[in-house]
Amino acid sequence: MTLHSRRIYILPTRTGLVAAALLFVMLIASLNYDNNLALLLSFLLCGVALVSMYECHRTLSGLQISSAQVESAFAHNQGELLLAFQNTSDTARRSLRLRVSAVPPKWFELAPHSASVVRARYQALARGRQRIDRLQLSSNAPLGLFRAWTWLHLPLQALIYPAPVRVRALPPPLGLPRRSERERRLSGDEEWASLRTFRDSDPLRRVAWKAYARGAPLMVAHYDAPAGARRVLSLTSLHDLPLESALSQLADWVLECERRGESYALELPGQTVPAGHGLAQRRHCLEALALYEAA
Amino acid sequence: MSPIPISTQRWVLAGLLGAVVLNLHHTAVWCLPVALGGGAWRLWAAQHGSRLMGRIARLVVVVILTLAVLLSFRTLNGVDAGASLLVAMAALKLMETQQLRDWLIVLGASLFLLLAACLDAQTLWRMPLYAAEVWLLCTALYALGAGARPPAAATLLRSSGRNLLLALPFALLLFLCFPRLSGSLWSVPKEDEAVTGLGQEMSPGSISQLSESDEPALRVRFEGELPPQAERYWRGPVLHRFDGVTWRRVLGEPGPPPKLEFAGRSYRYEVTLEPNTHGALIALELPRGIPAQPSVYATFDYQIMSSKPLSDVRSYQLESFPEHHTEQSLDPIVRQLDLTLPRSRNPRSLALAHSLRDSASDERAFVKAVLGYLQHGGFEYTLTPPRLGTNSVDDLLFDTHEGFCGHYASAFATLMRAGGVPARVVTGYLGGEWNRFGGYLLIRQSNAHAWTEVWLDGMGWVRIDPTAVVAPDRLHRDLDDSLAGMGASDGRVRTVSWLADTLQLWQAANAWWRDEFIDFNMSQQMHLLAALGLKDRDLESLVAVMAAGATLWLSLLAWRGRQRSAALPRDVLSRSWRALERALTRAATPRAPHEGPIAYSERVAGERPELAATLRPLARHYAHLRYGSGSSAVQLQRFRRAVRFFTARLRR
Repeated sequence: MTLHSRRIYILPTRTGLVAAALLFVMLIASLNYDNNLALLLSFLLCGVALVSMYECHRTLSGLQISSAQVESAFAHNQGELLLAFQNTSDTARRSLRLRVSAVPPKWFELAPHSASVVRARYQALARGRQRIDRLQLSSNAPLGLFRAWTWLHLPLQALIYPAPVRVRALPPPLGLPRRSERERRLSGDEEWASLRTFRDSDPLRRVAWKAYARGAPLMVAHYDAPAGARRVLSLTSLHDLPLESALSQLADWVLECERRGESYALELPGQTVPAGHGLAQRRHCLEALALYEAA
Repeated sequence: MSPIPISTQRWVLAGLLGAVVLNLHHTAVWCLPVALGGGAWRLWAAQHGSRLMGRIARLVVVVILTLAVLLSFRTLNGVDAGASLLVAMAALKLMETQQLRDWLIVLGASLFLLLAACLDAQTLWRMPLYAAEVWLLCTALYALGAGARPPAAATLLRSSGRNLLLALPFALLLFLCFPRLSGSLWSVPKEDEAVTGLGQEMSPGSISQLSESDEPALRVRFEGELPPQAERYWRGPVLHRFDGVTWRRVLGEPGPPPKLEFAGRSYRYEVTLEPNTHGALIALELPRGIPAQPSVYATFDYQIMSSKPLSDVRSYQLESFPEHHTEQSLDPIVRQLDLTLPRSRNPRSLALAHSLRDSASDERAFVKAVLGYLQHGGFEYTLTPPRLGTNSVDDLLFDTHEGFCGHYASAFATLMRAGGVPARVVTGYLGGEWNRFGGYLLIRQSNAHAWTEVWLDGMGWVRIDPTAVVAPDRLHRDLDDSLAGMGASDGRVRTVSWLADTLQLWQAANAWWRDEFIDFNMSQQMHLLAALGLKDRDLESLVAVMAAGATLWLSLLAWRGRQRSAALPRDVLSRSWRALERALTRAATPRAPHEGPIAYSERVAGERPELAATLRPLARHYAHLRYGSGSSAVQLQRFRRAVRFFTARLRR
């Protein structure tokens, strides 16, 4: 998408208005003193201001947006917006400002013949789909006397996840008897995969002490998806909470499970996300929560 | 608000300092130190993070500097005092500049200072300085506009320079067409400095200072030939009253001027007269008629006077006849005026005059006798004569024997009056230097001269220049130049060195600058309209031309922008990628509309495995440049070269 002149608006800034008053005073003084040189100076400065108006307009005109993308966000938080700008002209475009509704604007500039991805923030409102419009791209380059702006009408839609709120503890893993870690390991329920180096957050119980005793570095037994140890996060289990709070609780659980590296399934009335974990699972679940509508 | 970068601060400070320097000649002496101090303090504070001046300290400094301006100029009004005050306030503003707004104020003050300099001095040699200062201030404005990370100095200078060049046609257009309405909107305090030149009166000694001044007094363009050197007497104020020391003018009209009869050849010319205090329009002896201008009149002693002060450059046209006489007799009151001598002054001179008169047969013989006395009396011409007492003529004739034109004119006129011949002292200029580049005769203040006119019945007023008798060389001083100007190839013509050439060229350029720019006015605007072929030469058409020109300029600017942006979409990256696609379409298969660059390259790689090794990284490179977090011009060039190499290989 290329920005076209017709959609670009331009007005003097407050500095520009003060400058206009200053020029007017200069003009009057030159006329009063009947001084040609001072008059020429005043006219020259008027010309400079007018040229700057055109330059300001040109900062936006012809600018290309090659892609636009919205990252999802949790409700009432700020999300990110990625716009890939392309400056194909010989001159740099400076003092560009991207503003999305009420969030503090993002300033950036584009070197000549360059492309760059600009990350701006937007304010996520309620859960569900949210149109991102009122994207204002403006610039007061080069002198700050004028400000040109345009509204970017991009087909941008953000998916807003419910804000995670913890009301209850994570439900216990389903379908598995409560056993100690040691028992589980001995019974071979978990699929022992490999040893990896110790990290600070690793539970000491998993440290391969025998290997350490043999002189190896501190290693931790690493298990792939703990077989069968999955939690089912279900909306019906939270039927006593209002819907939005319940969804927020589920979002919180999703994040908690991800943090623990556990496998989890999501059950919503009429929709089930099978067990799994990882970024894709997290996204599936959160999207399902974002779009859930009570029947 | 991000802090203003130091480099930007330097630009603004340099701009302010430049403006202060341009105002040095008419502002108070403390202006430069104050501005330098303020700037240095500001830079030091910015680099060391130390504090600026406190509020109370600033207030104290404001009061002190305002008082200093009052002390220097006795007013806060007017360009000089105003500029000084502006320097003080700008320097003080530096003490509290933190934000963009403060720096903009400093920049605005600098612009006003530049305006003040323009108001005060418009000589040609300053123009490059003014232009440089405008550029500097514009650059500072660009730096301020660029925010926290201003581009390199060269880029800033280029941007502002381009802007100025684009603005220049607009400025010139408005300059040419903006209606010049005469009269000020409010009363402007006129500078009452004495303009060096001829004065209202003459006491021997007053002209010695003038002769050192090389300032131009007037410039004359002739229609046709120039008068010979001996005829170049430019008449100014005529002095009648003598108190023994000082010759003075007569205000009022004691009698009508004797009617002149002109003979011989005449010279038509246009005079451009610099400002003067005596109010006389200088004319070649003797003009017929007076310039058709308001508030200009002729006096009984053939002066052309202006009833308004000649505080601006003035142009007028005249026709003069060096040969003239009158049959009429002298008005008794004027005769009485021009015979009066101070009582009991210069007794020895009076005795000398009486004895010479007694031995002369008539008035003409008397004049000749007195001239002979001056010629052979051992008198010397000098610009540094000794001081004379109250009997100045006696002192000159019998004691010092040294003097310049004023001394000899004064002495000669006194002797004439003592001998019963009406005489008066005429001040003006003698000679002039021909400027062959400008085609005009330049008369400087150093050409100032004084001579006499005596009344001889049957002839009228006759010019007698006693200095010519005492120091004939004085009259030939400028001869060489004038001969060169007339194209005479006399052996005496000095070979003009390149230095003299350059000087003349410079003078001509200055004169042109003065006439065509500084004194550009309504009548020149009307000439301009005529040159454009417009019939209605009035204010309306002037404004119409201005509006049309401004519209044209604006549309050219807009068109320039459009041209630029129309050429945009096909950028380097797209062009290279399309070239690659075309080559692949020919060699293998076209890209499906839904395919991205990587998917497409994978498919082609599947069909043509021998291309895979090059094509895959190329496609990834493209995707990275196009959709990645950024690309530089160097990367783009590299990609283009790679594509070119690849397509060339495909074709083979």
